[in-house]
Amino acid sequence: MNSPNNTDSLHPLEIHVLRALGKDPKPLSDLQLATHTELAPSQVSMAVGWLLTKQLVSLSTESTTTYVSLTTVGTQYHQPDSSPLEWIIQTVKNADPEGSPPTVKDLQATGKFQPSELSRAIGILKKEGVLQMGAGGILEITSKDSDIVRDLRNLINQVHEATHPLDSFTSDHQALLRQYAVKRGNTQEPFRIDDHTERTYVLTAEGRNLLPHLREGAAQETSQLTPELLKDGSWRNVSFRKYSINLRPPRLAVGRRHSYREFLDTVKYKLTSMGFQEMRGELIETEFWDMDALFMPQFHPARAIHDVYFVKNPKMAKNIPEPFLSQVAQVHRDGGTSGSKGWKYEYDSERAKRLVLRSQGTAVSARTLAQNPPIPGKFFSIARCFRYDNVDATHATDFFQVEGIVLGSDINFRTLLGLLQLFATEMAQAKEIRFFPAYFPFTEPSVELHVRHPKLGWMELGGAGLFRSEVTIPLGVTVPVIAWGLGLDRMAMVALGIQDIRDLFTSDLEAVRNMRRQF
Amino acid sequence: MPTISIFQKDFCRLVGRNASMSDIEQWMPYVKGEVKDVSQDTGEVRVELQDTNRPDLWCVEGIARQIRSVLNKGMPPYSFFSDKKGAKRRIQVAQGMETVRPYVAACVSLGYAMTAEGLDQCIQTQEKLADAYGRKRETVSIGLYRYSSISFPVTYGLVKPDEIRFTPLGFEEKMTPHEILTVHPKGLEYGSILAECDRLPLLWDSDGQVLSFPPIINSRELGEVQQGDTDLFVEVTGTDLSMVVLALNIFACNLADRGATIESVNITYPYETEFGTTVKTPLSMNQSQRISLEAIEQALGMPLGSEAIQRALASYGYLVKATRQTVSVTLPAFRNDFMHVMDVAEDVAITRGYDSFSPIMPQSFTVGSLSVEEQTSDRVRDLLVGFGFQEIFSNIMASHQELVDRMRIAETEYAQLVEVDNLMSQTYACLRPSILPCLLRVEALSPRVFYPHLLFEVGETAQLDLEANAGSRTTLSIAAISANSGANFSEIHSYLDLLMYYMVWPYELEPVTHPSFLEGRVGRIRCNGHSVGYIGEFHPEVLEAWQIDMPTSGFEFEIRKPEA
Repeated sequence: MNSPNNTDSLHPLEIHVLRALGKDPKPLSDLQLATHTELAPSQVSMAVGWLLTKQLVSLSTESTTTYVSLTTVGTQYHQPDSSPLEWIIQTVKNADPEGSPPTVKDLQATGKFQPSELSRAIGILKKEGVLQMGAGGILEITSKDSDIVRDLRNLINQVHEATHPLDSFTSDHQALLRQYAVKRGNTQEPFRIDDHTERTYVLTAEGRNLLPHLREGAAQETSQLTPELLKDGSWRNVSFRKYSINLRPPRLAVGRRHSYREFLDTVKYKLTSMGFQEMRGELIETEFWDMDALFMPQFHPARAIHDVYFVKNPKMAKNIPEPFLSQVAQVHRDGGTSGSKGWKYEYDSERAKRLVLRSQGTAVSARTLAQNPPIPGKFFSIARCFRYDNVDATHATDFFQVEGIVLGSDINFRTLLGLLQLFATEMAQAKEIRFFPAYFPFTEPSVELHVRHPKLGWMELGGAGLFRSEVTIPLGVTVPVIAWGLGLDRMAMVALGIQDIRDLFTSDLEAVRNMRRQF
Repeated sequence: MPTISIFQKDFCRLVGRNASMSDIEQWMPYVKGEVKDVSQDTGEVRVELQDTNRPDLWCVEGIARQIRSVLNKGMPPYSFFSDKKGAKRRIQVAQGMETVRPYVAACVSLGYAMTAEGLDQCIQTQEKLADAYGRKRETVSIGLYRYSSISFPVTYGLVKPDEIRFTPLGFEEKMTPHEILTVHPKGLEYGSILAECDRLPLLWDSDGQVLSFPPIINSRELGEVQQGDTDLFVEVTGTDLSMVVLALNIFACNLADRGATIESVNITYPYETEFGTTVKTPLSMNQSQRISLEAIEQALGMPLGSEAIQRALASYGYLVKATRQTVSVTLPAFRNDFMHVMDVAEDVAITRGYDSFSPIMPQSFTVGSLSVEEQTSDRVRDLLVGFGFQEIFSNIMASHQELVDRMRIAETEYAQLVEVDNLMSQTYACLRPSILPCLLRVEALSPRVFYPHLLFEVGETAQLDLEANAGSRTTLSIAAISANSGANFSEIHSYLDLLMYYMVWPYELEPVTHPSFLEGRVGRIRCNGHSVGYIGEFHPEVLEAWQIDMPTSGFEFEIRKPEA
């Protein structure tokens, strides 16, 4: 690779600064460099910054000096009798001797200063004995002259001419300057005191070596090809400065898909390419479709208040469509025509109407089964689901479930395993897989799919099973149905470099912009 | 899904063979268990059991029993279920129990000196069964007693809350049931089960000694079983007779597996039950079922043949009887989970091992497709990304403060929300009716992030709609904001205009007033005569409420399904 410090790639500003440092054996400050090169201070500081990065220039000394300067308020006070102190004295002095003596209220009424500023100034003058306040807020000037007013006037005049280092003043004046300098919470002050760091620079050995090779007439170099240069052909007569192509480029704010959503996009495209049709459902479901239709008995522990979010208003749906309500009620009671004994309890048709936030994507499948789906048929949904749970690094308040169904007369336990095997290769590029017995209230037999992911090692990829007849028959489906669900969030999190599941939906724009899929 | 502790040594003794940790892991599929944690020092294994319909597996004895049966290719039935002799001991159920806690089952366990380990496991089983299976003691609760101190018959009857005094477990002094409900920790925890009873259930013996106040607490005198006790009395009370009997059966089998001799107890009821007025417990409730071999073979996708299916089921613990035409099976008495022939099919598959079934690809041809909504979303997302917008992906639950107060729409027609009844936290109290608050949240949290900020999200929102069957509708919305020092109406309007052009969605803007936006710089978006959303510059009060220092404008509208 070429050395980045090729003289051709130096910016004209850099060349000016290098030359100035080369001429003077002493270290030079930013200010001196600006004088020597006749460049603007901002141009000098830009060039010095680049040269420091390239290690052609190094810092020689660094010293911090505290300076006093005037604020905009101070510049205003420079006008005679325009500070609150001077103005009060003048106003009271010049009051019409025939009229009633001026009061605090009168001064406030002029609106020249904020009431708080006025009362502070009056306080200072009273304390010094220059001003007296009588009954009804009547103000009178004593014969005493104000030292503070005099000193402040001198200081304002002095600082107005030029910025001075703080330590060039007497310690009394330093205290006064500090007292009347802007601070957090009080910006109406005449002085500003700030630290200024002065740095001086020298050439490094490499910088010095470059001196003899610096281009002549650098000022005539062009950095940007322009339409004008092209139009009149004058580009032929200029030389183009060569760039340091290894400097980091400026940042861009661009339009981009959200990385997690992009991950889910690939899942949905994969599923459609495998012949699955997308289903959509509602965020708010009845207990009927969310649980009853899936043969989860109304006394099932997972249905307790601690797992599901209930809707506040209205609490109940208006109705549950027939014949599904009766058929599902029957299968819960005694199995109906499903060949099952049922759960043997009094099914509560009112409770079926209770509204919940969809707690499982399988609710969407249940609705599809009830809509006379085509057979054979393959369906999927990527459904937002909600669980009543404490939100932490592994539990989000709402999350996506990728799940679906396969209907067909050829469906059985082995085709179920075949489908899962396909998921393993298509979704997780896994060659090794294992099946474990599992339990879901709505499938029998039930399987858990474990796969060996090339990046994550052994992981649980999903759960599946054959829908129980108690689910399919009441919804009008007579062929066997596979119900499957994939747990892809862990894969997404590893691919996106995320440890906390909440970060999948982060509101931090920097994190959103930086997120990217690593596999 | 209960998680229990078992100990390797105890487990091996119960299985009847030495087993390494990896053996234990390998056998877990037989019980749908998963090893969660292993402590090499103590030999403690934490096992999670998946099957909510198999409470017999929620204890070390049950896990070992199931695995033992598979390894030994079958198990002999427990003889006490078929004991033809009459029971020597009796519990008399009193009139009135039918409305309070109607059922009881009991047995006696003799000759097994309780070890420390056995006692711990007994207590764990008692708790898991009563808690997860018995719904926190409401439907099932279990009591263990020192048998030798009890004079039979025992009465299961009702008392007035302050009629009787006994010393409950965990206390030194005698208390009435009423005092127990108001003072004793267990009374406070489970008292609600008896909330509507003016008379309370009690078990006492023929000498008038109190055994327990079910389902709350045992008496200290009779009901404090200790290590070394050889003879136990076990009772289960509850509201569902088959669940009560099953829990007792499980307990009886567990004690028998540890070496006890189980003797039955007769329960006599003054009212009818599904098993009659005199019920001898433990009781096998399972009838033999004729099963269709064809149904099993079809479900499993394999012509296993009658022999193989019978062998598998016998191995798994079923009692199998075959004639030339039919096969009948009976579940062992510690199980009561048969509902459908598929339940039997799964047991065949588990016994043979899921890995022994070779997968077949489903052959049917189907056409894959995305919904119209998703296709539309994708096109809109592509366009907005091309316009330079960063996509945002937010949670749908948000706070009332974010959705309403900060949007300056409190007490207006716009503040219509779907709210949850059982709040976990105020942060997640409502479903978003609009996506814009989610985008403003991003802006509020990202003032130091490189500008400009052009953000969008396409996603679901929930609209309160009392006319709809569920009182609400799920809608699909598009929202975008621009936050930068020059953000204004015409900038965001340009983006909207371009989006509508490419989507071929003719639209109009109607000047309106909307509290979230600056007066005179807001419009209602109308498509095909429908009002679908808003566009405007956010009101400075909205930005102040979000603590956003950057001028921000935005739009949001609903994608309506094409009218049929």
